[in-house]
Amino acid sequence: MRAGAARPTLAAQFAAIDDTVKATQGLPGLGWAALWSFAICCVCIGGYAEATIIRDGMQHTGLNRPVGWGWYITDFVFWVGIAHSGTLISAILFLFRARFRTAVYRAAEAMTVFGVMTAGLFPILHLGRPWYFFWILPYPNQRQLQINFRSPLVWDAFAISTYFTVSAMFLLSGLMPDAATLRDGSSGWRKRFYGLFALGWQNTGAEWRHHGRAYLFFAAFATPLVISVHSVVSWDFAVSIVPGWHSTLFPPYFVAGAILSGVAMVITLLIPIRKALKLESLVTMKHLDMLSRLCMLTSLIVTFSYACEFLLALRQGRGVEFDTLMYRATGAFWPFFWTMVVCNCVLPSLFFFSKIRQSQLGLLVICIFINVGMWLERFNIVVSSLEHNRVPFDWSSYHPKLAEMAITLGSFGWFFMWFLLFLKLLPAVSTSELKEDAAHTQHEQAEVSHAA
Amino acid sequence: MPREKGVLAVFSEPSVAARAVTAAREAGHLDVRTAMPAPFPEVMEAMAQPRSFIDKVTLGGAVLGMGLGLWLTVGTSLALPMIVGGKPVVALPGFIVIIFEVTVLMGGLCNFLGMLTGAFLARRKSWVPPDPRWSRDRIAVFLPGAGAAAEALLQAAGAEEVRHVS
Repeated sequence: MRAGAARPTLAAQFAAIDDTVKATQGLPGLGWAALWSFAICCVCIGGYAEATIIRDGMQHTGLNRPVGWGWYITDFVFWVGIAHSGTLISAILFLFRARFRTAVYRAAEAMTVFGVMTAGLFPILHLGRPWYFFWILPYPNQRQLQINFRSPLVWDAFAISTYFTVSAMFLLSGLMPDAATLRDGSSGWRKRFYGLFALGWQNTGAEWRHHGRAYLFFAAFATPLVISVHSVVSWDFAVSIVPGWHSTLFPPYFVAGAILSGVAMVITLLIPIRKALKLESLVTMKHLDMLSRLCMLTSLIVTFSYACEFLLALRQGRGVEFDTLMYRATGAFWPFFWTMVVCNCVLPSLFFFSKIRQSQLGLLVICIFINVGMWLERFNIVVSSLEHNRVPFDWSSYHPKLAEMAITLGSFGWFFMWFLLFLKLLPAVSTSELKEDAAHTQHEQAEVSHAA
Repeated sequence: MPREKGVLAVFSEPSVAARAVTAAREAGHLDVRTAMPAPFPEVMEAMAQPRSFIDKVTLGGAVLGMGLGLWLTVGTSLALPMIVGGKPVVALPGFIVIIFEVTVLMGGLCNFLGMLTGAFLARRKSWVPPDPRWSRDRIAVFLPGAGAAAEALLQAAGAEEVRHVS
């Protein structure tokens, strides 16, 4: 702020926050309608591809012995990873009292919920006969079939459903006060709609007392949960004896990768959102700068993990493990491997330069490449190990087919369909926390000027 | 909602509202109610509210979840004692994952339901005259059953507006 300029009063700052957020809830423009229609088209294409698979069977996919896990599981791990940063930003940074989370956590939380909704589709579609998905659920039945609680696939079903439920409740509890603010300033169907999410909230001090405590507990629950969920996803691989998968390195490696891809996706979404919804005054370059630093940190952990994978295999001597990893780097999918290295290790290191962190275009381009790199990482892990397993006569090549690609496209459409709806119907930033932050900043400034 | 009589004061600064709450409590008003757009720490501290019961509800939910997880994994494995992959029927290291997830799930659900119940009861017990300003940019301090002396006290504390609610 210019020296000597009158600082707006706290009430004026609060009103400005509300007005900025309320302006995002207007009628959708042509751009939004075009994007949403495109997302719906992608969902239809994916739905048609899945319908052909249901009608004719799995011959429409490239899945065959020995590669039983292909694009479906790659997409599953990718979307679970995307879903991770929301909880990291909202829960872990909340516990660490990192104030930069305030303006960005709501979009990240919504991304988490829609990401898990997308990820959850893939294990079901992957079954081939998706109508039998309930066989993985523990319920009393007359067929003497009990699920195997020692199987990581069952752990996964529990972990993903718990993660979705807790993330959705976390998002709803944060939304209550903001929905009440919008309800109080609206009329007609919008008032009733926001009233549904506000759940009768009246902003009384007694309500805030319970809310604050519950929010703290959600953050405390979500922090170990976020680590456990991607660890469980990594155990889907690591608990098997497939070379290239059977490693104790996998849980931290997967968690760091998930955070990298998730934060990159948050930046990818936030840059166009802040422009389109005119949120530049609330989601500032400082917020994006802090998020890119988080990307840089997790990229370094991922790079270290890639190196560890090879070094641990080398330490065991020239065996099947090392051969599989060399196949990953020099085999049929070598361009995928090296693109992954460039996208996940080389490009994020550009964030060391503050000029890149301050450039929206630079951030956007690098984060899109990180997302591509993280998808390729999952593809490399899933496919190369299965193609090049312990039994040489069984080795084969995986060729994904059009139906799998269409379903992947459909998954992006599904995710963006929900996310775009969210942006138009609910506040993309938390007004109550921004107000608390504004009051805190003013209090700090008053103390500094008092001391001076 | 039960409507009550009393004195309502409106503030724009959390620190001023907190001073008014403290002054009211010192003047003998034990039931001081507030409404505000965010949980401003100074106001919450001045209100000196008892600890929320959510701690106990959440802990109870988590313990219940742990028990459910144990019952589900150990109980069903003992009901159908089939050895798979050479592992013991009750393989606790593998079951811990499921027990943990069910613990978090039940703890989270109880936490959420506890918060909704707590907020509902709080609205009934601590009614504040509704006004859209409480969610936008102003802080309300309401003293139920108070009279003219409270009006003067809140005015002196720096309220923007003081009125009697009947």
